[in-house]
Amino acid sequence: MPKLTLMFEAKTVKEVPVGVRPVGIGRSPDNDLPVDNLAVSNYHARVYVEAGRLVVEDLDSLNGTFVNDMRVERATLHDGDSIHIGKHYIKVDAKGDAPVPYDSGRKANAPRINETMVLDTKVRREMLQQAAAMGERTQFASGRLRVPTLVVLAGRTDQKEYALTSKLTVIGKSNLATVRLRGWFKPKMAAQITQKDDGFYLGAGEKIPAVNGKGIQGPVQLKDGDLILVCGVRLNFIFRD
Amino acid sequence: MRIVSGGKSDVGQVRGNNEDCFRIVPAIDLYVISDGMGGEAHGEVASALAVETIVKHCLDTEGPAGASPEAQVSWSENTKRLVGAVHLANKKIFESAEAHPEQVGMGATVTAAWIDRERLSIAHVGDSRAYLLRSGSLQQLTSDHSLVAEQVRRGILTPSEAEHSEMQSVLLRALGTQPEVEVDADEHSLFSRDVLLLCSDGLTRMVTEPEIAGTLQAEPSPERAAERLVALANENGGADNVTVVVVRLDSDEKGWFSWLRRGAQKNAGGGNGSAGGK
Repeated sequence: MPKLTLMFEAKTVKEVPVGVRPVGIGRSPDNDLPVDNLAVSNYHARVYVEAGRLVVEDLDSLNGTFVNDMRVERATLHDGDSIHIGKHYIKVDAKGDAPVPYDSGRKANAPRINETMVLDTKVRREMLQQAAAMGERTQFASGRLRVPTLVVLAGRTDQKEYALTSKLTVIGKSNLATVRLRGWFKPKMAAQITQKDDGFYLGAGEKIPAVNGKGIQGPVQLKDGDLILVCGVRLNFIFRD
Repeated sequence: MRIVSGGKSDVGQVRGNNEDCFRIVPAIDLYVISDGMGGEAHGEVASALAVETIVKHCLDTEGPAGASPEAQVSWSENTKRLVGAVHLANKKIFESAEAHPEQVGMGATVTAAWIDRERLSIAHVGDSRAYLLRSGSLQQLTSDHSLVAEQVRRGILTPSEAEHSEMQSVLLRALGTQPEVEVDADEHSLFSRDVLLLCSDGLTRMVTEPEIAGTLQAEPSPERAAERLVALANENGGADNVTVVVVRLDSDEKGWFSWLRRGAQKNAGGGNGSAGGK
């Protein structure tokens, strides 16, 4: 049976035989060969056997299907061809060997992608640029250069404004707190702000802070312009340009 | 601060060898974990070299802290030395791979934590993690240097899409794969009853954050908490090597004030077995 092997950076991601049913290739996980890359359309291409020949057909994908670096809409595949889709490529084995038993000791020299690998800087930049160029939820394009900032509106603190650069910002009286509260009876750690991959979250410390007038119940994600009240100190969370 | 710690590393249920490595140095309150990669046994070489180099450099406080392009004036001596140590480890692994062609491609993650009284210094490269459990919530102190995490930071993927991505093992930074590496470093203040957790991705891919938080809260002994977390990762599939270091902090302040406060905490935190709940 002919066989397709999805490769990424010289590593095998997945292998599928081409049988009676067409092999679907695309970003959606229900494809036979799911390709996890934003440059790939949900249902990007398919490969099937027609009159004894192996055929690849592009399914009107946005960025195209390439066989040996030529963009194709439909093409006959030959043994040893490679299909490029995004940063991935698919090796074509059209010879129709007898199916190889799955665990015949090939594992050792064909590392799978679940083995950790490091991208070199060039590939990394390309992949991220490509993803950004796709324009999917590109809030980062504007948000990334903006600095998350706490502006002190009222109350006694050691500064008037704090840029949030750490993963964890402590608001309290502690010497090591980022936002240092002054005055008697202020707690060492009144509240804290954590930076997660998807944004900033305010959580309780010894006190329960309020966001926009409501006491929080568990960590809440901060939005541009939120007003925070903790221990009598009013803070405005904003993204500074 | 009174500090108690414990650690555990396990091969998991699927892999043939354990490429993770960790070290606890109670004398100076230093904690280092590393997850190695590279075929054959080279991942083990890389992670062991990372941990050894860092521990040695931090113990040698007489020598120079070591150069690091990221160094900030405000950093403590410990933070500077720790970051210098990570740069040194990168250099050692890279040079070893250059000298031994069969080791080409080997690398390692590293997450190192150094406690000096109330100050915690963190240095980090890769996708192992440091967490802090404080006031019942678990907070990640490190950013994963992985492709999927970067895509989440850029708003391209949602956190749950990232969790199901096939590209989770693709790292953007690691020790030993380039002659120079960018090291993340940070300083945090510690408070009584904080729990610090260092772990390899073998834990975080198998066990959810609420489960981790629950285990750390339920198990007061760091040694047993680490064992319990490793067991949980294995029960959930153990797809990768798993390494966990747990560090528990307690204030050692004495006197009537802390005695009063501890009493108050005991009363407030009570309820286990006490009758009359509302």
